[in-house]
Amino acid sequence: MSKLAPVEIERLQEQVAQLTARLAEREQAMREQERQLERYAADLRETYKLEREHALELRGSYMATVRALSNAVEARDAYTGKHAERVAAYGLELGRATGSSLAVDPQIEFGFLLHDIGKVAVPDAILFKPNPLSPLERDLMERHPLIGWEILREVDFLGVAKLVVRSHHERWDGTGYPDRLAGDGIPYAARVFAVADTLDALTTTRPYRVALPFEQARAIIREGAGSQFDPSVIEAFNQISDRELADIRESIA
Amino acid sequence: MNELAGPPPAARAPWSVMIVDDDPFIRKLIATTLADVAGFALHEASDGGQALALAARVSPALVFLDVDMPGPNGIETCRGLRELEPMRQATIVMLTAGAEREPEALQAGADLFLTKPFSPLELLRLVDGLHAEDTRA
Repeated sequence: MSKLAPVEIERLQEQVAQLTARLAEREQAMREQERQLERYAADLRETYKLEREHALELRGSYMATVRALSNAVEARDAYTGKHAERVAAYGLELGRATGSSLAVDPQIEFGFLLHDIGKVAVPDAILFKPNPLSPLERDLMERHPLIGWEILREVDFLGVAKLVVRSHHERWDGTGYPDRLAGDGIPYAARVFAVADTLDALTTTRPYRVALPFEQARAIIREGAGSQFDPSVIEAFNQISDRELADIRESIA
Repeated sequence: MNELAGPPPAARAPWSVMIVDDDPFIRKLIATTLADVAGFALHEASDGGQALALAARVSPALVFLDVDMPGPNGIETCRGLRELEPMRQATIVMLTAGAEREPEALQAGADLFLTKPFSPLELLRLVDGLHAEDTRA
């Protein structure tokens, strides 16, 4: 083993000290960088929370606006009462039963709630006429989906909701209105809605008919599979029990 | 960290997230990104053994699991976690360096993958979405 000269040792010691100092400096810099990154993460999280809050607020405002509009339509007709809300709830339940993403799309609910907004343009004398409508009156009445669609046309946030408004009186066999669409040509949400709408109409007392029990309404609706209604929607409808339907109705009354 | 002292088996533990990574910085970064975002507890483990013990105690609904760890690696830890009764339903997200170990991880019971460097925004959306879904039901 060769002996190191004292100067040599001193030089090495100095080198070690320098390296140690540099290492400490590096570690210090790294810790600072880590802290900075954590700061980024924390700020990102806070921004995300804020953004989420705003989105929720905005959604709440949309919902309130849509409900106000829907209430304005309902206020005219003492008979239908909370028809729009019930139909929306039946429609969403039906959407869930079909296994589609309908029930989680807020625009769909908007469409369900606003489906009859075009009726604001139908005169009271026609809307509340207890006797059968004349061909001319019927023609006016049947314009309400198109009028509704026109009213909402420029409202971007409603998106596919507008399709429900326009197409909720189309029939699976193509004999509905206003566009005489048939089968898959009818927007899916409108096909689901048509079943919910009929269900509520049959199970609510109207000037010309008392409310039917769910069981009877269900039988009538089933008969419409393939003519008035999309058979696949009726299949989904069959999975919902009368109990569940009654629960929905009670929750809204 | 919010550590629970052995809840009775009948009581459902509160919604929580477990972060398993041998790198303390990655744990810190994930914890910082998620802290207080939706009112759930965060738990950290630095290796597979710790992860199993912690999971048995707090039954996290969501686990972030690093695939490359000394000792039992992420794949083995994942298999172990799935053997714990309360962890059958949990969502396990494997943190990987690339796609090559994904088939193996899927077999071990992983549900999702995040590739490092992961996007913190993706992390937030994932956790927030799962939390909202679970707590709504």
